Amino acid sequence: MGAFFRLQWSGILVGIIAGGIALALSAPAFLSEFNLFVLLRSICVSLLVAYAQMVMLGVGQMNLSVGALGGLVAVVTGGLMDALGVPTLPAIMIGVAAGGAAGFVNGWLTVRTGINGFIVTLATASAFAGINLGITKAVPFYNLPADFVAFGNGRVGLFPLLLIVPLLVTVVLALFFARAVPGRHMLAVGGNAPAAQLSGVSVPRAIISAHVLSGLLAAVAGVLAVAQLGSAQPTIGSDWLLISFAAPIIGGASLAGGAISIVGTLLAVVLIGLIQNAMVLVKVDPYWVQFLLGALILAAVWFNRYRAIKVGEI
Amino acid sequence: MDPAPRRTLTSLLLRGSTQAGLFVILVVLWVVFANLAPGFLSKFNLNSLLRSVAVDIVVGFAQMVVLATGGMNLSVGAIGVCAVMFSGYLMQVLGLPIPVAIAGTLALGALLGWLNGFAIVKTGVNSFVVTLASASLFSGGMLILTKAVPLNGLPAEFGAFGKSAVGPAIGSMPAIPSLAVVALAIGLGLYVLFKHSTLGRQILAVGANARAAEMSGIPVDRTIVFVHALSGALAAAAALMLTARLAAAMPAVAGDDWLLPSFLAPVIGGTALSGGIVSVVGTILGALLVSTIRSGLLVLEIGNFWLPLFLGAFLLAAILVERGRAAYVAREQARRA
Amino acid sequence: MALTVDKASKSFPGVRALKDASLELRSGEVHALMGENGAGKSTLIKIITGVHRPDGGRLLLDGQDVLFASPRDAIRLGISAVHQERNLIPRFSVAENILLENLPRRTGLVDYARANAEAKKYLEMIGLVVDTRTEVRHLSVAQMQMVEIAKALSHEAKVLLLDEPTASLTGEEADALFALVQRLKAQGAAILFVSHKLEEVLAIGEPMANMTRGRLIEAMIGRAERIAVVRPPKAATGAVKLEASGVATAAGHRDISFTVRRGEILGLYGLVGAGRTELARALVGKDKLSGGTLSIDGKPAVIRSVEEALKRHRIGYLSEDRKYEGVVLLHPIRFNVAMTIWDRLARFLGFQTAAGERRATEPFARQLEIRTPSLEQSVGNLSGGNQQKVSLAKWLAAKVDLLIIDEPTVGIDIKTKAYIHELIGKLADDGLAILLISSELPEMVALADRILVMHEFRIVDGFDNDRSYEAMSRKVMGAIHRHSDEAVAVE
Repeated sequence: MGAFFRLQWSGILVGIIAGGIALALSAPAFLSEFNLFVLLRSICVSLLVAYAQMVMLGVGQMNLSVGALGGLVAVVTGGLMDALGVPTLPAIMIGVAAGGAAGFVNGWLTVRTGINGFIVTLATASAFAGINLGITKAVPFYNLPADFVAFGNGRVGLFPLLLIVPLLVTVVLALFFARAVPGRHMLAVGGNAPAAQLSGVSVPRAIISAHVLSGLLAAVAGVLAVAQLGSAQPTIGSDWLLISFAAPIIGGASLAGGAISIVGTLLAVVLIGLIQNAMVLVKVDPYWVQFLLGALILAAVWFNRYRAIKVGEI
Repeated sequence: MDPAPRRTLTSLLLRGSTQAGLFVILVVLWVVFANLAPGFLSKFNLNSLLRSVAVDIVVGFAQMVVLATGGMNLSVGAIGVCAVMFSGYLMQVLGLPIPVAIAGTLALGALLGWLNGFAIVKTGVNSFVVTLASASLFSGGMLILTKAVPLNGLPAEFGAFGKSAVGPAIGSMPAIPSLAVVALAIGLGLYVLFKHSTLGRQILAVGANARAAEMSGIPVDRTIVFVHALSGALAAAAALMLTARLAAAMPAVAGDDWLLPSFLAPVIGGTALSGGIVSVVGTILGALLVSTIRSGLLVLEIGNFWLPLFLGAFLLAAILVERGRAAYVAREQARRA
Repeated sequence: MALTVDKASKSFPGVRALKDASLELRSGEVHALMGENGAGKSTLIKIITGVHRPDGGRLLLDGQDVLFASPRDAIRLGISAVHQERNLIPRFSVAENILLENLPRRTGLVDYARANAEAKKYLEMIGLVVDTRTEVRHLSVAQMQMVEIAKALSHEAKVLLLDEPTASLTGEEADALFALVQRLKAQGAAILFVSHKLEEVLAIGEPMANMTRGRLIEAMIGRAERIAVVRPPKAATGAVKLEASGVATAAGHRDISFTVRRGEILGLYGLVGAGRTELARALVGKDKLSGGTLSIDGKPAVIRSVEEALKRHRIGYLSEDRKYEGVVLLHPIRFNVAMTIWDRLARFLGFQTAAGERRATEPFARQLEIRTPSLEQSVGNLSGGNQQKVSLAKWLAAKVDLLIIDEPTVGIDIKTKAYIHELIGKLADDGLAILLISSELPEMVALADRILVMHEFRIVDGFDNDRSYEAMSRKVMGAIHRHSDEAVAVE
């Protein structure tokens, strides 16, 4: 296990370090405190989005509604604060709980109806987006509490306050998947569902739990996105699909399930953030980001496959 | 002996095919919408409905052929936008004759699809991941090259074709738009492919059980590359139809917007996500159903905003009803056996 | 503790897997259950352990009606099974696999130190020496099988069901397992030992004492010996179809050399995991050779794909894995049989029709007596035996010269089995070269002209078949034992 993942990280890590050095040399602005702050802040939401999908890949499923769900939570939370005047903390808690509930709906539908999780979450993605648009009529909520917006913009040196949340989540998730029984059971189901079932692991429960966890993570991502933007935009989440799959897959997760890497995902998000930052710094067409991201995914999966064959895993 | 089954409407519905069931739902919806909103059956509304559904049908086909092998193509929309802009480039910038431009665009679609298939087969990576990445590559590349600037100076004949119709208008029924005829012709071609050709059979065998197909000497890799190329060509065809309908090549019209419809039409129509089963007629009916709901809700002024909610809920409901029906039929058969 | 199964029945779409099966297990007793794969033994076990819900019948534990909704319930009440399928999580450690449903925890988190110590205890009980922290995907097939047994032990089960536990074990490993079973019996466990090997059943204890009540059980007994057809010995005089010399593969084969002639049945015997199927896959171009050469019809040949094996070299492979590699369950019989001959059926521009397929495949369906109302029937609705006939018909239609037949009668009823044996003999008499892979020695002895013995990806010995089961079984098992001893000595 160690050798496998270490090799995984090393590739991405080398990419990050080499890219960082190249950027520092070619664009001095890269190492400025403000730029590093912007870079780190841009990672926060992406990381949670990536985790939301990583959890699903762990149990061997997909969640296409990550973005729509996050967007819905964003406007629900924003709406509670702006239109209904709910204080910050209760509003966030209600929003995140709604995300968990939406995740439960995904999981329950997948388990109970036996419909492929891909189709279920494709459909609920549409439904969540519909509720989002129905609530907002495509108009954002701007009037958010000052403390909330301040949290989104605050920093200590080059570290954004926002970063606290994803770091905390990273530690909890790492512990959860390495040491907690429900986490191990999720990975067992992803690795070999019939075997897990015969061993007395409840497969439906593991799948539903994974969907709830995914919903909660996407919800937190939605709330952070609102804090970062300073307004609850109905478009939040609409561009999360690609990154949600890209980061865990570049980080070494397999679509077949049961194999995920938290550190790999974390580093992949950093690498993607670095690329986006570089595009801005060297003033390249922003469209290149999308192009490079696609190329990066292909290169990563191809490399993974190649390495697995070399090591003799396939 | 069994008693003769009663030929009630419910038993017919329950025993019939998915497609028959869809047809009934479709008729019911049309009756409901026609009664609730007189505008629904207006010449204008029907004409625009048919012209937009024609594009959706072909988009659905582009996904359907890949689903037939048990794969997916998330880059249908990205290939679509590439094809939209490429056709505009060929006609407006290079000034090529329309047939040449059409052929060139279809070839581009097939090439991009072929690249997908090639990458899937060569790397052995899941089609979902490959086409997710290539969608990003294709649309990113297109935006880099075009700077997202639309092309508005297409030949007039091309736009005129998008508005043209075949046959006479009867009463309030409009003439059949040429685009719908094109969609039906493509459907006919695919029907023949799957029903009456070696290639179609190979596709279905690969989709139902790729290992068994390979162990029976069927070239699985070549088949997969072929369906992806076909999917790309179909996405390009849909893109051409859309460009003709809008009489302009705009980069923002396809892309992500095609993801849901591309799955909706075939899946509602009875094409299995796990592969091996396709229904051309079902895909046409599925696309019609989605467009009918969309158009009906618009005419009823329920509002554009809630539309995705209805579509998502409807997709789930449609699949659930179909599963229930199939399970009922299976139980009936088991009871008889 | 006593577990009683009373007239349990179970049907799957198209197949009646179990009918009125009854049996009683009591603590301190070992019951052996005999029967071929597919006779319903695995289904019976899956009903007892709550994997399947029976359609009819009762399950009683100490006289009380029980019905398990899931394996979890069964485990909780002390019923545990080693199933035939691999049931391990590849990326989890040995310790975690053994203790999966009951991982030791401290403050809510898994305590891996304790898990390793505990797992080690169970490994020692069965005499398996591996690091408990190894991921199971790095283990050998036999080691995985032992881990599964350790896993069942860890439930401290009062009722232990072992479904073909020795299939992939060598003689010594199996003996160790028998000793363990006797120990557990002495400790008061009720044990059901399922096997299709008569020797094992006789060795393990009170066979079939309580098992003659259900119809199904009766049918299971005595099946193993009954190979209806014994092919008379025949000198192989046909031309050499395939010659392998020094073949090696990435899977681990080394120095595999043999020839198959037309009109000859060459047997390839070995335990599960010996590398027989992997060799077959390499021979038909599914996997690459990493060394050695093949010569077909006297000419050197390289086979790059199954398609090439079929179309250029006229070699076919009837897979052991009928459901996943043999037939396409979703599609009709004619579709399945025609799969190998679509190219031949195609007319102008690749056009063909269902009617054309029907015409081309009907003779084969009739020849093989596939029982079905119509060729339009989905293969998924056929019985195992008829599915196997469809799979065979496909290769008859293809008119190959060499057919590699891998475990042709697994999970098939006795009548069809005899029929298939007869057919294989007839095909050889008609001049087909046949490479027969089987782990059922009686079948091998009845059919093959020569028997090669494979062990750990090598051909360790070869014998002319004299049709005497006892003599051949001594020779073949002797070869395997000798070579597992050597392997141990080398280590």
